[in-house]
Amino acid sequence: MSLRGLSLRFWVAATLVAFVFLVALVGPLIVSTNPDATVGGLYEEPQCCGALILGADNEGQSVISNLVYGTRTSLIVGIIAGLIGTAIGLLVGLVAGYRGGWVDDVLSAIVNVGLAIPVIVIVILVSVSLPQRNLYTLALVIGFTGWFWVARAVRAQSSSIRTREHIDVAKLSGAGFWSILRRDVLPYLLSYVVMAGILQISSAILFESTLSMLGLGASGTTSLGTMLYWAIQWGSVRTGAWWAFIPPTLMLTLIVFSFLLLQSSLNEVFNPRLRRGRAARKKAAKEGTELETPIEGDDAGPVGSGGFLETPVSAGQDR
Amino acid sequence: MGTLVNAENIRGVYYTEGKDVVAVNDVSIKIEEGEVLGLAGESGSGKTTLGSIISLIARPPLHVEHGTLEIDGQVQELGGHAKIPRTWRGAVVSMLPQGAMNSVSPTKRIRHLVYDVMRSHDSKISKDEALDRARERLTTLGLPARVLDAYPHQLSGGMKQRTVTIISTLLNPRLLVADEPTSALDVTSQKILIEMLLEMLEKRIMSGVIFVTHDLPVLRTAANRIAVMYEGRIVELGPTEIMVERPEHPYTQALMSSVLAPEPAYANTRIEGMSTFDRSLFDAPAVIH
Amino acid sequence: MALAKFLGRKVAWTLVVFFVALLLNFLLPRIIPGNPVDAIVGGLARGGGTGGEQLEQIHQHYMQEFGLDKPLWQQFFIYIGNLLQGDLGTSFGSYPASVGSLISQALPWSLAIQLPAILIGWIVGNLLGALAAFKGGWLDRGAFIGSLFLSSVPPFALAIILLFVVGAQLGLLPIGGAYSFGLTPEFSLAFFGDAITYFWLPFWSLVLVFIGGQAVGMRSMAIYELGSDYVNYNRGLGVKEGHTIRYIFRNAMLPQFTGLALSIAAIVTGGLIVELVFSYPGLGTLLFSAIGTNDYPLISAITLLITIAVLIANLAADVLTGVIDPRIRAAETGER
Repeated sequence: MSLRGLSLRFWVAATLVAFVFLVALVGPLIVSTNPDATVGGLYEEPQCCGALILGADNEGQSVISNLVYGTRTSLIVGIIAGLIGTAIGLLVGLVAGYRGGWVDDVLSAIVNVGLAIPVIVIVILVSVSLPQRNLYTLALVIGFTGWFWVARAVRAQSSSIRTREHIDVAKLSGAGFWSILRRDVLPYLLSYVVMAGILQISSAILFESTLSMLGLGASGTTSLGTMLYWAIQWGSVRTGAWWAFIPPTLMLTLIVFSFLLLQSSLNEVFNPRLRRGRAARKKAAKEGTELETPIEGDDAGPVGSGGFLETPVSAGQDR
Repeated sequence: MGTLVNAENIRGVYYTEGKDVVAVNDVSIKIEEGEVLGLAGESGSGKTTLGSIISLIARPPLHVEHGTLEIDGQVQELGGHAKIPRTWRGAVVSMLPQGAMNSVSPTKRIRHLVYDVMRSHDSKISKDEALDRARERLTTLGLPARVLDAYPHQLSGGMKQRTVTIISTLLNPRLLVADEPTSALDVTSQKILIEMLLEMLEKRIMSGVIFVTHDLPVLRTAANRIAVMYEGRIVELGPTEIMVERPEHPYTQALMSSVLAPEPAYANTRIEGMSTFDRSLFDAPAVIH
Repeated sequence: MALAKFLGRKVAWTLVVFFVALLLNFLLPRIIPGNPVDAIVGGLARGGGTGGEQLEQIHQHYMQEFGLDKPLWQQFFIYIGNLLQGDLGTSFGSYPASVGSLISQALPWSLAIQLPAILIGWIVGNLLGALAAFKGGWLDRGAFIGSLFLSSVPPFALAIILLFVVGAQLGLLPIGGAYSFGLTPEFSLAFFGDAITYFWLPFWSLVLVFIGGQAVGMRSMAIYELGSDYVNYNRGLGVKEGHTIRYIFRNAMLPQFTGLALSIAAIVTGGLIVELVFSYPGLGTLLFSAIGTNDYPLISAITLLITIAVLIANLAADVLTGVIDPRIRAAETGER
């Protein structure tokens, strides 16, 4: 994949994502204030230029500090949950699609039920029941409940790959089940898995913030969602303490938006037919517009799910 | 038998990132009334491109830089920003696309397409009239009328191809440009389709056919004349007999000799392949019989 | 008839899923170690609001209601039995109010925002997407970027921003609640006029995001369809553009229906948080306070309601897809 294929959109997205990671990783080093330390009064206004640059929250803690640590927390949960979800979905999808038979039937039934029941419901029920809520349990819960759509998409693709000739060759040469999956099926799915992974992470981050806003967040750690929870609880909106809720909101929006933008720009790289404009059409013509059917996770993906990427829409994948 | 279509000086170029590819390099060709003209060549020779230009469907990234089409005394400019009247498509020159499988929208029945085609050219026609004409055409050519009520996925490959052939000629076009119509079919279906095409010609449903294909043996039975294209130019053109048995251009000779025929005469003969681009073949002067 | 068989299968499937959801709804809160009632009552006791005897009463009541002294499977049947009678239980946090009454007060408000948001969002979003795909050029570019942004913004984020900008700073629309303080809900024009001002911001927060999402999806689908063989063939036969557009729309819409069902789950969830932001007295705020007080019956009832809503939406979308695309009917009923 040459650099030529990466559009302006990709670079913008990549820059934004890099920025987010920078804030999360390097931020806490720059902002040396402890997020739990009291540095000011209740909803004290922002003043230049130290810990109170974004003011103080309802406990008198530094907003900028919480923002930075909160981003880190949200990203950690998002990435862990996202990776778990993608991994499970990939595994289940691969096995179901490639194996076929009763294994496929059972797994597909589970996946379909999982897809039909709104995930948020399960997550709420489980979170409410947990005796203790911390970052990692939260990430686990989100990860273990969000993999269904990945499984379905991967299954569809791996079952079509199963019929390709190179699989027969591999089988004839005596390769084992797992070996074939790893070396002959997986590489075809890689581009999809990357995009699915990005969506999973961004979806997980949103889930975490939703849970936190509902009061089901990790206790003890600040995340962007918990910042908003407290902001709502203490009526910062009414009192006009914008610094309590605007920064986390903007940060969350930035994170989600940049991830989605990244995914959509990568999608155009993998599916030239979706491109537009002269440059795009020329490229598609040159490549002969011969490409696999648009796979799930294309722009029809995080559709209307601003809040939740429950399941990207398939472009005819069900057929 | 006079000239049905006179295509002159056609130049078709694909504008792609980096460089422009000349697919059809100043080609002129005449199609006679009542004939099937085979347009043969390897992939990339420009035959499909020429076919799409003549059937008036060329669009970016394919640009027709210049060329004219003359039918029934009317001259249509093809090059540059020429406006091609919508009504010419389907009614004067019609296309039979490659892969009838996808040429009909999967969510609508065949009769919808038929009605849409007919009323696009005659806004006053009623649905019943349109379908009646279609039924008549279908039965004349030996297809069951219930095909109209079917969805594309309910028809077999051969049936679909024949149905689409009929739809392409519903408006009795003067010229039908068929792009690889037999390539996706089994041998029996191929034969049936070719017979149908010839029958339609006989019945004057259309007055001429350009049969684009890479499948030379098929042309032997289907075409009256064969034009061989190589790298965007017509290198040889002549009656089928001569083209198959006594071709004069070196490329045609190479092409014909690369055809595998399960006949005793070919036993123990070595089939030679061809290199990708042979300058000598390209430079040899064209032969028009 | 193929369609009837198809419908039958879909309904049967929905019921199966519903049963699983019911099971989960029942089981999940109960797999925590310990007796939830003890925990609740213990919590109440610590809160200091209720005295010994009252606590005893409450404890008794819940033990009976949930049959916590009985084996799990019996509890399940009690649960189902209650549900069938429409009895969702008694709220822990707002004892002795019944869950049913609490929900029926909050539900209409949520529906008032969500239903129009979904309907309007879907229609406008898809039209916009299709238009952008056909016209191309600047309209396409602008609409695409705008929609992409809107669709990636979490509804609550948009809600907060709108709230801040329009509500707090510009003071154009009210920032909280569903109607002015002092008024009582009634079916009068005056009340409606007042309530509408409170309605706008939450509604726009949801609908804009939904429009964005639908537009992006539809645009992709339409672009994809525009490059299809049948479009090319139609053009080759001189079919009028208007006719072809109908084919394109129909085919491009199919994935959108599937998407609709899933997006509904997303909108519903998003709506809950939006309500929170605006202190709008719908199910969202109710859920929030229920979580705050560990009010299991209420939480469980709300989640069940959400599940039902989403399942019905799923069913409707599936059926619609089957109606429009004959291949799906055929595949499902084994025709092909």
